Amino acid sequence: MRRHAAVRMLLHDRSTTAGAVLGVVAIVFLVGQQLAVLFGLLTLMSALVDNSGADIWVLSQNSKSTSTAGDLPIRYVDRLAGLKDIEWAQPVIYSAAQFKLPDGTSQSVGIVGVTRPGLVVGPWRMAEGGSDVLLEYDGVTVDKLDLADLGNPKVGQVVEVNGRRVRIAGYTEGSRAFGPSVMFVNSTKAREITGIPADRCTNILIKLKPGVDIRRARAEISTLLPKTTVLTVAELASSIRVYNLTSTGIGSSFGFSALIGIIVGVVIITLTMYTNVLNRQRDFAVLRALGARQQDVFAIILFQALTIGCIGLLIGFFLLGGFLFGVKGSRLPANLPLWLPPAHVLFTFLMCFLGSALAMRRALKIEPASAFR
Amino acid sequence: MNTISQSPESEVDGPRSRVQSQGVSGTPVLSLEGVARDFSDGRVVRRVLKETTLDILSGEMTVLAGPSGSGKTTLLTIMGLVLKPSTGRVVVGGEDVTGFSEDSLASIRQQRYGYVFQQAALVPALDVLDNVLVGTAIQGGRVSAQTREKAISLLSGLGMKDYLLSRPQQLSTGQQQRAGIARALVSDPILLLCDEPTSALDVESSHIVLDTLKKLSRDPRRGVVLVTHDPRVFPYADRLLKMEDGAIVYDTRQVAG
Repeated sequence: MRRHAAVRMLLHDRSTTAGAVLGVVAIVFLVGQQLAVLFGLLTLMSALVDNSGADIWVLSQNSKSTSTAGDLPIRYVDRLAGLKDIEWAQPVIYSAAQFKLPDGTSQSVGIVGVTRPGLVVGPWRMAEGGSDVLLEYDGVTVDKLDLADLGNPKVGQVVEVNGRRVRIAGYTEGSRAFGPSVMFVNSTKAREITGIPADRCTNILIKLKPGVDIRRARAEISTLLPKTTVLTVAELASSIRVYNLTSTGIGSSFGFSALIGIIVGVVIITLTMYTNVLNRQRDFAVLRALGARQQDVFAIILFQALTIGCIGLLIGFFLLGGFLFGVKGSRLPANLPLWLPPAHVLFTFLMCFLGSALAMRRALKIEPASAFR
Repeated sequence: MNTISQSPESEVDGPRSRVQSQGVSGTPVLSLEGVARDFSDGRVVRRVLKETTLDILSGEMTVLAGPSGSGKTTLLTIMGLVLKPSTGRVVVGGEDVTGFSEDSLASIRQQRYGYVFQQAALVPALDVLDNVLVGTAIQGGRVSAQTREKAISLLSGLGMKDYLLSRPQQLSTGQQQRAGIARALVSDPILLLCDEPTSALDVESSHIVLDTLKKLSRDPRRGVVLVTHDPRVFPYADRLLKMEDGAIVYDTRQVAG
């Protein structure tokens, strides 16, 4: 009967119930949307590292990110390749360049030079064809999402990067990184474009043999190459994310937006539920006089809060699903990790509980004697 | 009102009420023994109900009358176990409930008491049948089929059969009050407490409600207490108590005795 009464009260006070549901929807959608975009950006930040196929990255000394300013001697590759625990070691060239647009202006791009024939750290998803297009001497790839920025070059079209002629050999799909558009090209052409000499590279990628302890291997490599930074893929990905979050203000921006969503939602829930209890003081007093204990009043308000939470979650997740579907394949990265929806549900229920706390406090103070006044 | 400083018992002014019921026609369903109630605004303590001793007997209708501020609602709420007395004992059905916890008192209210409030005080969100049933399962659990049948039977007996699923706001005030009476009776209470049940009713509806309450008071297991300031109610009383300034100043039983 408590639950029945709780639901009936919610249905009776439709406008305040709708207001509280709106508060929950605000929390679910605004917070969920902000987190989805944030996680999308986080994924994008380390996409190059996560999809490199390597276990360990060697960077210039004191590097925290896959900086385009990396500078390592190429002889390190041979020294590493000779170690018994290492399956392969490959140099990578990652450098900034200028892509010349049809109107004569330039657009910044990132050049990723990969070594033939392995094409390690090459594009991980092609829109059409395979990454073997990079075996061609002057072939480059551009991502479909970046086409508009680059003047919509067609496959086979010859374009200019840093004053060097290259040919669009294929389109990638989602093989992007955080920041400027990424163009993949073989290392020979990459050196030509970027001017990095043949005895230098920006990073070295290492694949360990199966069963090798990655931390021990990393320590050995650090000892072998003391003037470098040696990080596992997980460490580098984390380092890149932390670096970008703290140095660009993205973290605080998204954190603030999510916080605003939470505050707006909790305030709406609090005000509407509190108003509801104020309007229903006599009803609660009568229920108390009829035998309801404080815990019964608590149960009614809690059930109302949870019901509002459930309805708000359904609507909020429906909207969130629509948002994720809408931005799928767009330039706006959005990613909802599997653990996030259940965590978001728990968090939302907690916010509903907090939002209803003031109403509960008020309702629990209602004296049964007031039914007689 | 009398004003006291620190010790409520030592500095009470005015007459003390001590009315002893003989219980000739029934057994006491409720006994108040020297109950008094003080209210404080933080600076001054006021005694709004002076020491009162009173038995409510089964099988009779006790009418409690008096002007506004005379203390009748305070006495009613103490009888109704929704307000604790500052001093004295409250005995329900032979059991001293004075020191009982809030939860225990709530359970007694649910199982042994019936309330008819001023203007019915039905919950607008619930239909008539749910309003009658809500008290029976408000501490959790489901309403039994037997209780539901009883509620329907009570409502039918009060001429409310066609309004079971109506909302309170769809009813006249007289119909609301009859639904309120059905709610008070559904748990088969030993004590029915009515707070100005006719105050919002027209003459015809008042008589219907009062006739109903009078009939209910004939049950030898049940006592009925009706608080009013409406003199039209007095002829229905088996026993009339009048209050003034926080004390019972007139009791037909004492006068008869």
